[in-house]
Amino acid sequence: MKAAVVLRQVPDVVEDLVIAGDGRSLSEEDVMYITNELDEHALEQALLLKARHSGTVTAIGLGGDAARDALATSVAKGADEAVFVPVDFAARGDNVVLSSHLASALREGGYDVILAGVHAADQLDAGLGGLLAARLGVPYVGGLTGVQLDAGGRTAVVHKEYPGGRLGVLEVDLPAVLGIQSAEQPPRYVPVSKVLQAKRALQVKEVRGPLPQVAGVTVRKLLKPESATHAKMLQGDEDAVATQIVALVKERGLL
Amino acid sequence: MSPTGIVVVAEQEKGEPTDVTLEMLACGRELADRAGGPLTCLLLTDRGAPFRALPLAADRLVIVEDPALGAFNPEVHARVLAHQLKAMAPALVLLGNTAAGMDLAGPLSLLLGGTAVSGCVRVALEGGVIVATSRLYGGKLLAEVSVPAPALVLLMPGSYPRQKGMRDRVPKVEVQGGAGLAGPLRVRSCGILEPKAEDVDLRKVPVLVGAGRGVQTKDNLRIVEDLARALGGAVCATRPVVDQGWLPRSRQVGRSGLTVKPRLYLALGISGAPEHVEGMKEADLVVAVNTDAGAPIFDVAQYGATVDILDLVPILTEKLKAAKGGK
Repeated sequence: MKAAVVLRQVPDVVEDLVIAGDGRSLSEEDVMYITNELDEHALEQALLLKARHSGTVTAIGLGGDAARDALATSVAKGADEAVFVPVDFAARGDNVVLSSHLASALREGGYDVILAGVHAADQLDAGLGGLLAARLGVPYVGGLTGVQLDAGGRTAVVHKEYPGGRLGVLEVDLPAVLGIQSAEQPPRYVPVSKVLQAKRALQVKEVRGPLPQVAGVTVRKLLKPESATHAKMLQGDEDAVATQIVALVKERGLL
Repeated sequence: MSPTGIVVVAEQEKGEPTDVTLEMLACGRELADRAGGPLTCLLLTDRGAPFRALPLAADRLVIVEDPALGAFNPEVHARVLAHQLKAMAPALVLLGNTAAGMDLAGPLSLLLGGTAVSGCVRVALEGGVIVATSRLYGGKLLAEVSVPAPALVLLMPGSYPRQKGMRDRVPKVEVQGGAGLAGPLRVRSCGILEPKAEDVDLRKVPVLVGAGRGVQTKDNLRIVEDLARALGGAVCATRPVVDQGWLPRSRQVGRSGLTVKPRLYLALGISGAPEHVEGMKEADLVVAVNTDAGAPIFDVAQYGATVDILDLVPILTEKLKAAKGGK
């Protein structure tokens, strides 16, 4: 089995997001990056498949230099190969551009399964997986919480989330692109010492080349959501806040 | 010929249009009334009968009926939709920003030569250009974007008033067979697994204590459980907490979990990502505690505080116990 996993660097939304002077993008120097959380799940699922079926896992890191660190972490976790795809700040999150840019490298790689998180925090267009599959001419199924491969490696049986807590079982011909919602187990932890070790020994293939010019979504402006309502903020320390919450609970007759 | 008209791709559950379908129709109706184009509702189903007499706010309801269109199969649905949408050539296609819509948007956008915009909460037409407002970065920012027609817009559930998705008359109904389905399938449905019996039905609990990423560790959930007990309620969680394996799937609230309407929802360390908010915003009272004063959850909550939940929770539990004892 040959698996590839797409790992995108996205702004950490826990941090403050600063809108740049142009009003249309984030201020690049203020952005803290993390690997897109659902892509971490995609990596975990790929590593689980490797453990079951043997084969190789190629981690493909998209973004700026932070992607190299993500690749080192992936290798420390068990990925066999690391590919770095530098993506200009402006093009990150543009899946129309990314899918077009990645398609040829992925085609040449001859992968049986390509896994990506079903969604990324910075995306405004359709999901990367579906676009990639369409460009590669292979099937795509997203919203997955489990993947099994058949012994011959010709098909995958996937668990797909349906509304109401139900799971659909689908058989998918390989090669295919799979959109992961959550891996069968939480993404594994790897100690920092192992990551540093992997970083020192890391061999990274680089996919260079200009990003394709394709018409996608044009951002006119970014704005902070102005909600019609905002919470009344309870002031004071923990003790004071607790007292006020108890009063609210009492007031509502919930005690 | 330039593309005209708006198509809403309906979703259904157990023979009824889903809430987001009615919301898409409300959005489409508003746009169609302004731009003058026809509004078509396109429904793929294995059983169209329940939809024929519904007063949906579309000018036309096209039901594509085929036994293969029962359980959602992305390849089957994409094929049929591509066939239909190519023939209709609309300027705008509205899809739900749902699991199904997200599966379909990529392949359909390439097949139709249009661009998809996801996470939309508002849509407007400016001449031949579609202007959408989308949630970005977990709902922390909004982006106003423009795309040329034809475009696919994925509408966030809860963005338009669903009652406007119906009106006082039944649209013209056309029923068609599953044209476009010919050829071998690369994705085949093998069945559905029903959810396991729940340890607790969150939808019936009056007080829910929601745990988000801010709880930090599985161990910390213990004090949250204690708090829920003192409130006579139950603990539920956001997707990331469940994905970590800290709580069972049956405790997940949000798009891929349950929709709950408790009398009190105490959101602890929850940022308020749109996927979670979808499942809890109709609680009678929402009290949110998060150290990030800019967290979107404070736009949903009636009351908020920015103290550290790990400091607050034990004190709150004790105070609740004392208040109960003193009744």
